[in-house]
Amino acid sequence: MELNRRNFISLMVGGVAGLHITPLPWKLTDDIAIWTQNWPWVPVPPVGAFNKVKSVCTLCPGGCGIEVRRVDERAVKIEGRTDFPVNPGGICPVGMGGLQLLYNEDIRFTRPMKRVGPRGSGQFADISWKEALGLLGERLSGLRKAGTPEAIAAIDGNPCRSTISTLIERLLKALGSPNYLRTPSVEDTYSLVNLIMQGTEGPMAYDIENSDFILSFGSGLIDGWGSPGRMINAWGMWREPEMRGKVKVVQVEPRASNTASKADQWIPVLPGTEAALALGMAHVIIKEGLYNREFVNGFTSGFGEWSSLVMKQYSPTQSAKITGCQADEITALARAFAKSKAPVALCGRGKGTLNGSLYEFMCIQSLNALTGGLNRIGGVLVHEPLPLGPLPEVTFDEVSRAGIQKARLDQAGTPRFPYAQSLTSLFSKAVFEGKEPAVDTLLVFGGNPVHTLPDGGLFRKALRNIPFVVSFSAFRDDTAMFADLILPDHSYLEKMDESIWPAGIQYPLYALSRPVVKPLYDTQHCGDTILHLAKQMGGSIAASFPWKGYEEILKQRVKGLFDSAKGLVTYKGTNPVWKTMQKTQEVTPDYKSFDEMWNKLKSGGLWFRPAHSYGRWDTIFKTATGKFEFLSSRLQLAVQSYLRQNQADIALAGMGIGAGADAACLPHYEEVKQAFNAKDYPLTMVPYEIINIASGWIASPPHLNKTIFDDQLLKEDSFAEINPKTASQLGLKEGDLVFIESPAGRIQVRINLFDGAMPGAVFVPLGFGHIGYDEFTKGKGANPNYIISPQMDPLSGQPVWWKTPVKIIKV
Amino acid sequence: MEKPIKPSLRAWLEGGGFFVAGFIGALVVGWVIFPMVLYSKQPQPMNFNHALHLNPEKVDGIQGDTETERCLYCHGFYDDGTFKGIPRLAACTECHDDPESPLGKTLEEKAFMEEYVAKNKEIQWLSYYKQPDCVYFSHIAHVKNGKLDCRVCHGDHGKTSVIPDYEANRLTGYSRNIWGKRISGLKTNTWDRMKMDDCAECHSQKGHEENNACFVCHK
Amino acid sequence: MEKKHGPAKGNSYGMVIDLDKCTGCGTCMVACSAENNLAVRPDESDKQRSITWMRLYKVTNGKEFPHAEVSYFPRPCMHCDHHTPCVSVCPATATETDYHTGIVSQIYTRCIGCRYCMAACPYHARTFNWWDGYFPKGKGLERYLSPEVSPRMRGVVEKCTFCHHRLMRAKTQAYAEERKELEEGEYITACTEACPAQAITFGDLNNPEHKVTRLAKSPYAFRLLERLGTEPKVYYISTKDWVRKLGDNYLPGEFKPISTVKAG
Repeated sequence: MELNRRNFISLMVGGVAGLHITPLPWKLTDDIAIWTQNWPWVPVPPVGAFNKVKSVCTLCPGGCGIEVRRVDERAVKIEGRTDFPVNPGGICPVGMGGLQLLYNEDIRFTRPMKRVGPRGSGQFADISWKEALGLLGERLSGLRKAGTPEAIAAIDGNPCRSTISTLIERLLKALGSPNYLRTPSVEDTYSLVNLIMQGTEGPMAYDIENSDFILSFGSGLIDGWGSPGRMINAWGMWREPEMRGKVKVVQVEPRASNTASKADQWIPVLPGTEAALALGMAHVIIKEGLYNREFVNGFTSGFGEWSSLVMKQYSPTQSAKITGCQADEITALARAFAKSKAPVALCGRGKGTLNGSLYEFMCIQSLNALTGGLNRIGGVLVHEPLPLGPLPEVTFDEVSRAGIQKARLDQAGTPRFPYAQSLTSLFSKAVFEGKEPAVDTLLVFGGNPVHTLPDGGLFRKALRNIPFVVSFSAFRDDTAMFADLILPDHSYLEKMDESIWPAGIQYPLYALSRPVVKPLYDTQHCGDTILHLAKQMGGSIAASFPWKGYEEILKQRVKGLFDSAKGLVTYKGTNPVWKTMQKTQEVTPDYKSFDEMWNKLKSGGLWFRPAHSYGRWDTIFKTATGKFEFLSSRLQLAVQSYLRQNQADIALAGMGIGAGADAACLPHYEEVKQAFNAKDYPLTMVPYEIINIASGWIASPPHLNKTIFDDQLLKEDSFAEINPKTASQLGLKEGDLVFIESPAGRIQVRINLFDGAMPGAVFVPLGFGHIGYDEFTKGKGANPNYIISPQMDPLSGQPVWWKTPVKIIKV
Repeated sequence: MEKPIKPSLRAWLEGGGFFVAGFIGALVVGWVIFPMVLYSKQPQPMNFNHALHLNPEKVDGIQGDTETERCLYCHGFYDDGTFKGIPRLAACTECHDDPESPLGKTLEEKAFMEEYVAKNKEIQWLSYYKQPDCVYFSHIAHVKNGKLDCRVCHGDHGKTSVIPDYEANRLTGYSRNIWGKRISGLKTNTWDRMKMDDCAECHSQKGHEENNACFVCHK
Repeated sequence: MEKKHGPAKGNSYGMVIDLDKCTGCGTCMVACSAENNLAVRPDESDKQRSITWMRLYKVTNGKEFPHAEVSYFPRPCMHCDHHTPCVSVCPATATETDYHTGIVSQIYTRCIGCRYCMAACPYHARTFNWWDGYFPKGKGLERYLSPEVSPRMRGVVEKCTFCHHRLMRAKTQAYAEERKELEEGEYITACTEACPAQAITFGDLNNPEHKVTRLAKSPYAFRLLERLGTEPKVYYISTKDWVRKLGDNYLPGEFKPISTVKAG
């Protein structure tokens, strides 16, 4: 036996033959085939028990009901709730993509941090909560010790009237600073109109589902205005085959937005001239006697003064001259509007994230008054604010008592801006232009002012003069990039917070969001952070915040709802509220005790009052005359007191009012005055909002990037829409790279030729051009806010962001 | 020319010997060594006595007339019809609720109470029957709608008193129970293999050809 | 002999999208992406590479200011009934029409990535994974992935499945309640459910009771490129002639407008 060549071959042949009757070759072949179908780097989502958590979306003031599908503790999908009265099942794309805001670690702060790199670099180092609160507490205490608590300022982007905002304002008071600011929102202008004309403090409440003629002055009804889940649902309802021709929607705005395109009629007006159109309509309605005599004669005051102004200055021809539409178009529109059974005129541009013009809103609200649309089915309902329980008085010490007496940096509430609550542009200006730092420490809550303020980047520049900026944001947003200290909030799906009377809803509603997942990171509810800070600072500040946790404060506020004894906590989803509330004047609570109500609210529930006294006009107006005031007595008081101090024409000019003293207290049209030579800046830039780009303080979830067309964003460039005729005059082609330049600066965009764009205007989308967040968002497109050179809206003092003179330069 | 035949025969015989040696060697390699090399063995975190738990005489709580019903007691369905799979600790602690005292006398159970129940720690079981992610399998469609017994696919797993080591294919990463339990690949019992063809074969046999559409079992 | 496939024998799931109601908000696209674990890349503006199952197309009426108007076509997979173009060309049998549901499947592990189906599809309903899904380490984005839909790997084609997993989900629920048949509305796609305008209706086109069957018979209903004969199961409704006209390629004078739009 030797292993010669021959035997070796035998052995091999035997081996090979043998192998063939073993599983080895066959199994190996198969396994290799299977192996080629292994992709170990592709994530395999873990399985588990599916469950659903009901909550409320708090990404915008729309407050839609959401249901989050989870696998065990992991959230995998957000869906709309059908048992929530605001939105019958649908939500907007931003809310739909919300999990990408929760689970994207790169856009979130996972723990408290302090800045280590230069400002704006986004370089931070981890610190502990104790350290972070210690740092801030010491700084604030130091300022108080030095007797300069007014050098503390806060800017707050949380929803109007929310508990968290109340708490922030309270903190500033307790510290002793008058400089509490809110980012401008349409709610500011709504509140002003309601106060000035109706004397009421409730929100603007449109009974839109019951209307048969919806005249929208630039409100993006399907572009994200109000509560998107509600508005788009109503839109679908109006377009049901059996509803065809029964409801008419008319959109007034200079661009063929989705709302304008899909409306029954689109009336393009020159940017910022909506008020003149409303007045032209009023002229026709008054002249032809189409107004509601019962209401106008019995429940309004100053109609004589106003109608003579309207008759004199705003005939359809005059109005047509200002607005750029046809006089007969205005006449026909006025007739159609006034002759409808339940017409309603809406105001608030785009999504209504930013403020509007006070006089313009007054003109539009006057149309509702003329047709008797206030408190009528399908009109604008007049409400008291939500009966939330009050918080106890702030405890002051000497420092804070002296501090809050100091003048506000933004001049809000001074005779020049009598009814303004806060004016961010003037604040930024004061800080930026001040020789000495006027503000030492700025606290930023629930907002992203660097990105969203339409001030030509003034706020961003002003930050340079603020030695210490603290962000309470959950996200690495644009403003947080300039912060020195980060005290991160939970993301909206990790915390309990509230939805206070969703934007535009016609009945009182209060809902609580609940944590859908346990907090993923070492973050803390902003409300609790404030409480901890106050506790740590001790003294009168701690005494002003006696609560153990934020939830306790919510509970105290909700107690007020309970005490009002007029609401329900369950909604079945079968009968929409806008239908049932027509037949209901009062409701009996469906809860017996406060605990029962609270527990229902806490488990993703709501409190609402699906009842209304339609048609009541005698007791609802809280003005000096007890009536709806075309001639506002509040404005008269304010203007007169200012006039007493100054010479009349100078005074009016100081308030930004171009019309005479007679017109100043009446709804009228104010032309926006520009301080520049029109020849230098021949075009008008109009920023616009679309529903699938988040333009508020949060960034769009990445899924939304798929919905953006490549004539809106291409690689790093966003597009400006411009009429082909205007473009050819300027020698511009589709896709050209250009600078849009205003007196405040320039942005780089590409040109998109769009026939729906009014000639002479440049339309630039809001929501692009972030300098914070991650690669899905950062550096994509341009932010028109950076080049808006805002004029001041007369009286309200808010920025006129909808009209900026610009020129286009080819790159 | 006159070569002796004998050496040639011897050479042939010798060659034959080598052939047989090679042949047998290959058989050994293919049938014995190959499976040993192909599959990795991993012990389960602890033992579980299925036979004991399925015995109503020994365990009070277990309900059900048939074996399948008793299986479903722990391996049941959620309200939405999805399959619970391997029970979580919460299912165990329905009976084993006192961390201090085990219900039986074994050391293993004592360790289980101390290691898992007392610490409220989930047991990291290794699943014998886990299909790749591209496969969708609805237990309820088979068990409730199709009235199949667990045994059809899972064999006598429920009768074991010691759970076997988990074996994974080193090449594919799949559990041996999916395809390879019988290394020959031959199938005498329905539970011998769980490959696509086996699903399809059963569907066809039962006259449910429509369930062989791709999307019925793939996601 | 060519095997003649009629419409589905059992169910024939289909969709009607009312373009009058559609507001172009894109919620359907986002709902689809979230539901079906669609990969998102940092640059989604390259529409040749962007992966979508449901895609919104913007169309304009071509008129000048102030008569210009935009409208939108949400476009899922059409789940063609007849000569399903993608199915007929797939060399790997990775896609097939299920004649008991009418749903055209796509099996990623079977797909060889030749993209023949993409070339064949007249609706551009299919997209190719040029890269693996984008889930960078440390971002944690994989945490929202749903286990009901398998995430895809690079080199395969994917497309709308009419949320087939939701059909399985509905069946599973029905079996748990000891039922075999599904009620109308029990199985709807994620986009149908999400549409805030309720513009999308989903159901069984073989069932005369289903709303979708009634809507598909509307005089305003049409399908995309209907004359190719692929029998798509996605119908559109629009009362606007110019929108309907965009649904197919017409020779001059060939398109018949429905001139009298009846009110009410």
